[in-house]
Amino acid sequence: MEIIQTENLTKRYKRYKKQEGLMGSMKGLFHREYEEKTAVDAFNMTVNKGEFVGLIGPNGAGKTTLVKMLTGIIAPTEGTIQVMGYYPNKLEKAFKQQYAVVMGQKSQLFFELTTEDTLKLFQQIYNIPEDQYKKNKNFFVDLFQVKDLMNVQVRNLSLGERMKMELIVALLHNPKILFLDEPTIGLDAVASRQIRTFLKDVNESKGTTILLTSHYMEDIKVLCKCSIVMNHGRKLYDGNTDLLFEQYQKSKKMTIYFENNADSGIPESCRILEKTKDKLVLEIPKEITEKVLEFYIGHYSIRDIGIEEEEIGSVVERIYREV
Amino acid sequence: MKKYLEIAKAYMKTQLIWRWDTFIDVVLAMAKVIFAWILWSILFEGKEQIAGMGFYTMISYYIISSYLFQLDKSSEISQQMTNMLRNGTFSKYMVIPVHTQAYFVAMAAGKIVFSACICFFTTILCFYFSGISFVAAINIKILFCGAIMIALGLLFMAELNYFLGILTLKFEEISTFLMIKDNFSAFVTGAVVPLALLPEWMLSGMRYLPFYYVTYLPSMLLIGKQG
Repeated sequence: MEIIQTENLTKRYKRYKKQEGLMGSMKGLFHREYEEKTAVDAFNMTVNKGEFVGLIGPNGAGKTTLVKMLTGIIAPTEGTIQVMGYYPNKLEKAFKQQYAVVMGQKSQLFFELTTEDTLKLFQQIYNIPEDQYKKNKNFFVDLFQVKDLMNVQVRNLSLGERMKMELIVALLHNPKILFLDEPTIGLDAVASRQIRTFLKDVNESKGTTILLTSHYMEDIKVLCKCSIVMNHGRKLYDGNTDLLFEQYQKSKKMTIYFENNADSGIPESCRILEKTKDKLVLEIPKEITEKVLEFYIGHYSIRDIGIEEEEIGSVVERIYREV
Repeated sequence: MKKYLEIAKAYMKTQLIWRWDTFIDVVLAMAKVIFAWILWSILFEGKEQIAGMGFYTMISYYIISSYLFQLDKSSEISQQMTNMLRNGTFSKYMVIPVHTQAYFVAMAAGKIVFSACICFFTTILCFYFSGISFVAAINIKILFCGAIMIALGLLFMAELNYFLGILTLKFEEISTFLMIKDNFSAFVTGAVVPLALLPEWMLSGMRYLPFYYVTYLPSMLLIGKQG
């Protein structure tokens, strides 16, 4: 069942084109030139209920503008948009009651107060009955294991702890859709993993549809079955995330530890990344991985061998360049 | 309605966190009484009345009007809105099921209640210990009308600042509008110079401006003058 649907969705901005220098600034006082920028261009997308969709693209691709249109913050210039049957920019109360947005830069928490205080406020804002409030709060607090932090002033929480609290506040009213903008930005590996596990649990146990915007491809790869790639406001890819990465993953990294000091030969089309007396690191085209593996096992005495996927950053760069 | 009460409560709680701000509020309330006493003692030297008001009536007027002027926290609304609209964080209020305008009014109310209580009790204690007689209306009906007018005046200022804040969407830079509003309201509300000192023609002209009813008229009502 479709929960988000857009057709030919377009957003154009008019922006002041300032000429450089003091004279340019002076001229701007009397005569201004504007240019039109198309942030989102004829964008079609469909998200089904319960899906976990990743929205990826380089800076300025139009992701935030798209999310702003989906949440009703801005109105589209052209095209149709429908989220849970509503036209978002009407900003109807019934619509806002059914979704939540977590944006890294726009905290809903009161820094001077505790998360408990903010939750109490959000209970009233979303008109959540007491029993449901307690049930939801306990569920999320247990899931994140943050019971001890509920009465700590938000400004005294770490970045990771704060993000967990943001998510609890956002999910308190059981939204049908959760829009996430860079939820793991600036977090360490442990906190990022906790957030990812939490989001996965919420998506699976509560059936919440999640649209995730992130520059961390690890988030997208681990969480999102489907991905949408966009650049210059246009949709470039919409489909299975694994397929996307598989398609654009050209090479693998092979690390070989030799028993003896072996002066090994290098198969054609492989690139040396590191070479010591007993260690060799190669970048190999993914199609010949098996052959290269057979070659080394057959010709050398090997202590250990490891094959890693290509660095996710390189794959993404390729996706943006080639899609 | 309950949600807006909770919003006001949340902002009141945020005020209570800052102990130094509370202390400064108390000191300012005391300073105001002392300053009024010194100022009007000098101005009243050799005079029985100024603009139809005796020494204690004038001090009472000054204290009440500056107290009401200080209560008005609405300029924070326009400041906050313009900052948030310009740095793109205002949308956080648009995605929750509240009426943005009412949210900001509730926010100002929460801040006012705290400040009002602190300043009120400090001022009363100052009057009590300094022995200055406080001149106030003894008619309950007038006091009640004064209180209603104060609430409406503060509401008007909150709404005005909300709409000035909204102008950011059109003009981006609204500091000129805010400066005009601040200076104009400080003058017309009578918080700087009692309007009674101004010529009658100017005073009657000001009756047509809403600011007249924000500080000046309630102050006059509370000290037993009809304004």
